[in-house]
Amino acid sequence: MITREEIIRLTNEALKKEFELTDEQLVPTAHLQNDVGLDSLDAVDMVVVLEQKFGMTLRQGYDIRSIVTLNDLYNFIEKLARDHEAGK
Amino acid sequence: MYALRTLFNTAIIGTSAIAWLFVSGLVAGPFLWLFPGKNGRNVRKFVYYQSKGILFCVRMCSHTFHAARVERPKEPCVVVANHASALDLYTVAALGFDNVVYITKGWVFKLPFFRFVMNGAGYMDAEKTPPEEMLARCKQAVANGCDIVLFPQGSRKNPQARFKSGAFYLAEMLQVPVIPVAIAGTGEMLPAGSIRLRPADILIQSLPALLPTDFTGPVVHLEMARTAKNKIMEIVNKEMKI
Repeated sequence: MITREEIIRLTNEALKKEFELTDEQLVPTAHLQNDVGLDSLDAVDMVVVLEQKFGMTLRQGYDIRSIVTLNDLYNFIEKLARDHEAGK
Repeated sequence: MYALRTLFNTAIIGTSAIAWLFVSGLVAGPFLWLFPGKNGRNVRKFVYYQSKGILFCVRMCSHTFHAARVERPKEPCVVVANHASALDLYTVAALGFDNVVYITKGWVFKLPFFRFVMNGAGYMDAEKTPPEEMLARCKQAVANGCDIVLFPQGSRKNPQARFKSGAFYLAEMLQVPVIPVAIAGTGEMLPAGSIRLRPADILIQSLPALLPTDFTGPVVHLEMARTAKNKIMEIVNKEMKI
């Protein structure tokens, strides 16, 4: 079972590589648009990149637009991973 | 000597450059209003000649000025450049791009005189134009033979900022090549927030075109953005000794 720490590590790793972010920017309370500087196209790209990283679909049946901060993103992926593992 | 040269550049050459922009605009304005040409072609040609005038001023202000280009694809392209100065808008003229449509930030469209020229030339407001409309207008611009110019860093504040992928997404959607352009020295000559024209070594160089079909992976435009930035910044950082 993937741990929350592992989710945070993999997510940050992907964001750092794809969007040239630094560790200082990647704090859980960071606002994805205002603090991290991701625009709407970046958000779409981020979903595709994370889908590939975690090997699961992030877009079906979930409201991605509710993700505002980095912590929301970690929670979202964690919930999805749990559902995925439970076979939902 | 440096201070004296900066004073001369700002007071004489800078004032001449601004005068050139306004006088040429006032003289050509009525003609362009009456005869904008097919899809604003005459307005874009006018901007090209205005840019040539500004480039002459940049050349006069610089220690050294070097513009180099590689052979470009025959079809219209998306042109992307790093961005450290307001002068960058005029630099693409040094490489012979004479029929271009710029996609710029909204505030530029609020400038009283420039607004008229920009609307006439068919430039696009990156912040106000909805994505679908932007894509449709770019498709039309490419069909009219225009190159589309963007500064993917989006701002002059951080010369090392990442390249946002919108320009490359556009190239992918339109299936046109991307021409990376490296600009070095303009940020030293006229940095963001300054009105002083400091002497500097200027380099403007186009690089071999990137084709969307040459890239693979889940997000092609992200890969293209990274490649274009690496190629451009390699030249810029070498020139600026960073």
